[in-house]
Amino acid sequence: MAVRYGSPLKRALTFHIPLALLVGATLFPFYWMVITSIRPDAELYNVRANPFFTLHPTVKHFQDLFALTMFARWAWNTLFIATVSTAISLFCGLLAGYALARLQFRWAAPLGTLIFVTYLVPPTLLFIPLGDVVNTFGLGDTPWAVILTYPTFLIPFCTWLLMGYFKTIPREIEECARIDGASRIQAMVRISFPLAVPGILSAGIFAFTLSWNEFLYALVFLASPQQKTIPIGVFTELVRGDVFYWGPLMAGALLGSIPVALVYSFFVEYYVTALTGAVKG
Amino acid sequence: MADQRIEPILAERASPGASVLPAPVVVAMPEARRPTRLGQLLEREHILAGALLAPTLIILALFIAYPFLLGIWLALSDKVVGRPGSFVGLENFRVNLNDSIFLRAFQNTFIYTFIATILKLILGMLAALLLNNHFRFKRIVRASMLLPWIVPTVLSTLAWQWMFDATFSVFNWSLMNVGLISKRILWLGDGVLAMGCLIAVNVWRGMPFFAITLLAGLQTVNPDLHEAAEIDGANAWQRFWRVTLPLIKPIMLVVVLFSMIATFADFQLIYVLTRGGPYSSTHVFGTYAYEIAMRAAKLGQGASISLFLFPFLLTVIVFQLWYIRRND
Amino acid sequence: MATRESSASLNRRAFLGVAGAATGVAVAGGIPAMVAAQKAPTFPKGTKLGILEWVSFVPASDVEFKRLAAEFGKLAGVDVTVDLINMNDLNPRIASAIETKAGPDIIMMISNWPHLYADGLADVDDVAEEIASRDGAYYEHNKKVSVVGNRWKAVPLCSVPSTWAYREDWFKEAGAGKFPETWDEWRKVGVALKKKNQPMGQAFGHSLGDPNNWAYSVTWGFGGSEIDQSGKVAINSKETLEAVKFTVAVWKDCLDEGGLAWDDSSNNRAYLAGTISATINGASIYFVAKRQFPDIAKVTGHAQMPKGPGGRFYNIGGQGRAIMKSSKNQQVAKEFLRWFMDRPQYEKWMAANDGYTVGPTPYWEKHPLWERDPKLIPFREASKFGRWPGYPGPPSRKASEALVKYILVDMYAQAIKGMKPEDAVKWAEVELKKAYTA
Repeated sequence: MAVRYGSPLKRALTFHIPLALLVGATLFPFYWMVITSIRPDAELYNVRANPFFTLHPTVKHFQDLFALTMFARWAWNTLFIATVSTAISLFCGLLAGYALARLQFRWAAPLGTLIFVTYLVPPTLLFIPLGDVVNTFGLGDTPWAVILTYPTFLIPFCTWLLMGYFKTIPREIEECARIDGASRIQAMVRISFPLAVPGILSAGIFAFTLSWNEFLYALVFLASPQQKTIPIGVFTELVRGDVFYWGPLMAGALLGSIPVALVYSFFVEYYVTALTGAVKG
Repeated sequence: MADQRIEPILAERASPGASVLPAPVVVAMPEARRPTRLGQLLEREHILAGALLAPTLIILALFIAYPFLLGIWLALSDKVVGRPGSFVGLENFRVNLNDSIFLRAFQNTFIYTFIATILKLILGMLAALLLNNHFRFKRIVRASMLLPWIVPTVLSTLAWQWMFDATFSVFNWSLMNVGLISKRILWLGDGVLAMGCLIAVNVWRGMPFFAITLLAGLQTVNPDLHEAAEIDGANAWQRFWRVTLPLIKPIMLVVVLFSMIATFADFQLIYVLTRGGPYSSTHVFGTYAYEIAMRAAKLGQGASISLFLFPFLLTVIVFQLWYIRRND
Repeated sequence: MATRESSASLNRRAFLGVAGAATGVAVAGGIPAMVAAQKAPTFPKGTKLGILEWVSFVPASDVEFKRLAAEFGKLAGVDVTVDLINMNDLNPRIASAIETKAGPDIIMMISNWPHLYADGLADVDDVAEEIASRDGAYYEHNKKVSVVGNRWKAVPLCSVPSTWAYREDWFKEAGAGKFPETWDEWRKVGVALKKKNQPMGQAFGHSLGDPNNWAYSVTWGFGGSEIDQSGKVAINSKETLEAVKFTVAVWKDCLDEGGLAWDDSSNNRAYLAGTISATINGASIYFVAKRQFPDIAKVTGHAQMPKGPGGRFYNIGGQGRAIMKSSKNQQVAKEFLRWFMDRPQYEKWMAANDGYTVGPTPYWEKHPLWERDPKLIPFREASKFGRWPGYPGPPSRKASEALVKYILVDMYAQAIKGMKPEDAVKWAEVELKKAYTA
């Protein structure tokens, strides 16, 4: 339903204005984050000051962020955790997706459904007993507590996405390879996997952002400040009793969002493909 | 010779968005050699399938299936922190159903989910329709639109919290300066208003997801169908309702169901924005379970609150499965 | 400071202690004795001590605490780590430490948490009683919240008293030369202030500190209470109803109506931004004012809670330090607590708190810091009126549950929002009965 023609006024009313409103509403909070993080305290806590801009930008909040908290350490933790859990999920998802898409075996359909059905037990349902399990394995307060539990919601998604990819790769290619003497595994690894690289990238980006975003498990399983991820750290440590450090809070929020937004911006196409692929597939 | 057969097939696969397809891999085929024992085993489909699925199944068994069963046991016990629990049957559930805060959380979870989902659907649809045009900066707009969804919820919600702050709200400042209000609006200080704020933030965050997927759906609608309808005299609204909508219903349904599951089980947004307040009026299942288990140290009871998520999610998932099967 | 006293007692203890020194066993008199006797610390190498506390409202005291902890580490040859987290997030950490039998060795307890977590805490009778016999009996509220079933489950650390911080200049303009003594006078001044757009401020949200300062103090001030002395739920009384009605009335007449959404920090911000004229708070408002808003600090005074028909009360539970039962380093932990609570160390920590905290025993009322800034004196007096949640009944796990569920706070909040006071009180009764019979 493209607005191809019509008077300029009509176009403005039915297209430009709504679009501007949409983009404005979507991006305003980010603008807000940026402004708040560079406004000096005197303005921030002044009820009468204009909140939309400042004439005295300051980097103090960013300095405070690093001085008051272990933000750099959290950034490293988050990066490490997101990367490793994405890697694990991609590995499992790749293998599982291939198996479900390609191989004929009796349990294919039920297992496919089973993996799908894990969404029946979201983190909000599981976090209490899972805390127990994590502690039993001695993983509490270590990054492995989350690295091993994030795949529970990352793998199903990676599996479907890659299943979809594998389904579009014609069997003939592999069969050719096998006729030429390759084993199943060689065919899988050397032919099919490389062809699924776009899918792997898409799933990987999506998994990475989901991982970076996770809150509940990290809140419950990660305890000491050294182990925290950015979302948890910013939330629990910049609210010090009586004093909300809004400036550093927004600085932390901004810095915590940038890496994932950057990664995403380089791979927008892949991300969108991942989203739509999963929903369609 | 294998290459020759691969190339045309690969060319077929190339599609507009996938311009990033890597160059075809030229594989040097190994010489045939005697397969090893293991190799032989793995030739058989169901053995290979088992091996490939094993890592996934192990992780899911350890960290989903087992805790789920443990959660059921906990919900049926009186476990508190520091003491071993004992079986108490449905006592926790009985206590929950008599707890006014729990009942409020029950109600809130449904209201939150349904209203937010409907709003996301409508606004997402509008956004998708807008984006389904060609205009300058389309790529940037489309990319930036996804930011609310990409950025960690906790962090963006903190920004919203500051925007709704009782004393310093930017909304209040603007509305007052424009003369629209004379008294501050206490966004997070009133039960109903706070609920509204929560829904607003959820819609802000989730609408991009709807927009992008519905956009993809819109792009599969053949423009010729629109042309034909136009020639037949249909106006824009009729075209949308009669042509577009039926065609994207499948994708709409899937998106809605996905989103409902996530919203129903939401924790982050509410916990950060209101922590369930004011006066426990914005609790949902997730936040109340957290409060009872982690603050009041009653793990058994907390688990029983979480379990209330299950019947609803089951219904949604069953429906989703049935719908997918129907279309296969 | 009574340094001569303490060095005399040190020598005595050193003399007693030398004879009993052994590897890894705490010497009577502990570290100070060892130091005085110039004996090397006798804990096995590589011993660790983990301490978990809240992030203090006074940043300087955190710095001092970390320094003291490091000093202890050097003295005892122990690796000490200090974790500071937001007060509202302590509960989950404690729960997980107890459940997993791992985690920090020493954890801070706020108010009556020792009752909530008693099963996971070690007995610390020896340390607690030793301190009491040296410094004098603990304040009743500190003792009540730390003793569970006749055993000391936490070593009282301090209390954080609150008082009314108020704008002396605005109060004078409104006709009050000094802060009102009774709730009726308070209400009169409040009405005048709110008319001039200078309302007082009070939090009624879900946060551990400020909301409870009103809920419990006003209930007791009017003669009401959650439970009676025997532990039976007694909230549904004429007195409580009066308290609720009073609160509803002054909400409109005197208070900033943003309070329903306020947490512990909101009133600080509002006061410093000049949007409220008075609020109940610890000394943290004054500190920040002294540093960043000196004009406001100049006109800020502190005063006691107004008296009601039932008396003058504050909600104070005090803070303590508990040792985890599952800790493998209980001896070291006890040594740390002994050393820290000893006068030379505690004195420094208290000075860093600059009046934000009071000691657990009346001994610390003599600390010179109270002389330095007379504006802080009301804080010293305030702890005398402090009571624990559940007063006048015994503190218990059930009282903790009521605290954690914000039953009293919600009673007031719901009445403010329009629930009939009678219904709000009845609601609280039902909820309390559930908490107390469970």
